[in-house]
Amino acid sequence: MQVRTGVCGGARQPEASHPNRYRRRASPVRLHATGLRVSEVAAMVVFALLIINKAGGLIFNRTFAPGLQKLDSNDYLILAGTFHGIHAISRTISPAPPVQPLPGNRRPPTTGIESMESSHFRLTCFQTPTGVKFLLFTSPEQPNTDAVVRRCYEIYGEFVMKNPFYSLEMPVRVEKFDRALGAYLVRP
Amino acid sequence: MASSSKAARLGEEVWKSRVDKINAEVLTLTYGTIVAQLCRDLTLPATANKTDYAAVNAELDRMGYNIGLRLIEDFLAKSNTGTCSSFRETAEVISKVGFKMFLNVVPQVTNWQGVEGKPQAFGLVFEENPLAEFVEYPDDGRAQDELWYSNILCGVIRGALEMVQMQIEAHFVTDVLRGNDTTEMRVTLVRYIEDEMPPDDE
Amino acid sequence: MPAATTTTAAPPPPPLDFKNSDTIPVLPPSKHQPSLRYPSSGSHRKTIYDRSLSRPPSATSLPAFAYLFNTLITYHHAKSGSVSDIETRLNRAGYPIGVKMLDLLLYRQAAAAPGGFGGAGKSGASGARPTRLLELLQFVHGTLWRGLFGRQADALEQSTTKKNEYMIVDNEPVVNTYVTIPREMSQLNCAAFVAGVVEGVCDAAGFGTEGVSAHWAEGEEMWPGKTIFLLRFREEVMEREEGLKAGGGGG
Repeated sequence: MQVRTGVCGGARQPEASHPNRYRRRASPVRLHATGLRVSEVAAMVVFALLIINKAGGLIFNRTFAPGLQKLDSNDYLILAGTFHGIHAISRTISPAPPVQPLPGNRRPPTTGIESMESSHFRLTCFQTPTGVKFLLFTSPEQPNTDAVVRRCYEIYGEFVMKNPFYSLEMPVRVEKFDRALGAYLVRP
Repeated sequence: MASSSKAARLGEEVWKSRVDKINAEVLTLTYGTIVAQLCRDLTLPATANKTDYAAVNAELDRMGYNIGLRLIEDFLAKSNTGTCSSFRETAEVISKVGFKMFLNVVPQVTNWQGVEGKPQAFGLVFEENPLAEFVEYPDDGRAQDELWYSNILCGVIRGALEMVQMQIEAHFVTDVLRGNDTTEMRVTLVRYIEDEMPPDDE
Repeated sequence: MPAATTTTAAPPPPPLDFKNSDTIPVLPPSKHQPSLRYPSSGSHRKTIYDRSLSRPPSATSLPAFAYLFNTLITYHHAKSGSVSDIETRLNRAGYPIGVKMLDLLLYRQAAAAPGGFGGAGKSGASGARPTRLLELLQFVHGTLWRGLFGRQADALEQSTTKKNEYMIVDNEPVVNTYVTIPREMSQLNCAAFVAGVVEGVCDAAGFGTEGVSAHWAEGEEMWPGKTIFLLRFREEVMEREEGLKAGGGGG
């Protein structure tokens, strides 16, 4: 298994512009900024998405491919809690020399674990600057997982954060979010 | 993120290609109903209809704070700015990316204060303010001196920055609605929240 | 009667004495304080009266509106005991917007009409207030919807059972773009706010209603957010309409 971590969160580059954006058709879902071509989207195998709040609680999980091994909800909670802990450790224990900020400025944040790979799957972790973690489980061949997970964050910003009936930090049960994610990640 | 022109380009790009639009008057009128409702609901003790403007200011700030806690995710997801390395950069990003993408205005960053030993602070001067487009204050002789009409914006910035580990203080110092020559908000950095404890719910 | 007025009012100004004065005396300033304050300097004026009403409105982001709309929903939700209570409060919040939008949209129509203000165009295009029911409904369905949301509504229908009831259909109300209703409140439609705007327009135009309400259309696969705005006009409005029709008012 390989683990990739990054040191500086500010080093991420904005995505390239995207010639074929998905425009709204009948549903209110509007997809921006995948950075992916249609052929790549068609070949995607995304297994699952988990969202962990900044306190380490699992607030969302969903699978997107048929025939996956079933986990019960307790397994999911353990998985989320364990990963949260390991991720925190990976942010603080690092062989890289510490970066000293200029006086009055802040220390550049470390991202912690960004991806884990095995022969069977790849886990891509995107932690937002606010501390929410998006965990995307895909096949190892799946390209552009960084862009896919960022797009999930964008859909979250759109339909979870802008839903007046959603309480912050609580489990996400938002129909429009589910529909938009499904339209993006479920392949017919 | 580095220079202010880079921030300006990013703000322009996000506004143009990643944000759904609506007629600004709908926003103006909707905000008007919120402020008017608060002016009716929040009255001074033992009076039927004398508005407690200090309470209205506080409630607007609280409402904005709750917006900021959520808006920050949308902002980060769409703009992909990453983490600012200095408060000065934060000022540029708020003005040229944040205000541009949500309100299609770019307040001017002014009066930078960066003297050692004093808290870092900056001003935001609003040449245009879509919230206050059709506004004239009520004729009760007090509103002009007590109400900060756009106070919700202070709360938005406070809530949004708190989510990215910055504790700030924000308030308006002038408003053209009060007869001032400018509309200016002052934003002061209190501290960076280094330990990653979840902030208190408000 | 005169005694009663003098007790509260300021003492009357001294009688004008034109004969013994070279100039016309100036009356003391009134106690009225204008509520509009002007910036003391500046090359351009920044008050609302210095801006042209007929300039095309600028664009802002839908998310910014959504955050304010959510704030409104949350505020009224916290003060309400029931779904219908929330809807009533959202309706009341939208109502004054309708009253203002009617004037604003008519003013702009007038300014844009050939010949400008008072131009002898067909009513509706000239900025005249709609006087017939169908004109009003088309104004709401077309002009109001375009002014608010940049497109017209999706359908305009008359009830088959009650002749004072009309329906305006929006397949996907802009205000509901990001709103997901929790299951336990499934009847709630936050477009009640828009219903309030419509009610304000109807009232201000002289077409009193018994209420305008927003309802989910049942069983819509294609448009899960499809919303029907039900306009119920008052009896006297229908009677007047009948009278105008009988009198050959045309149109």
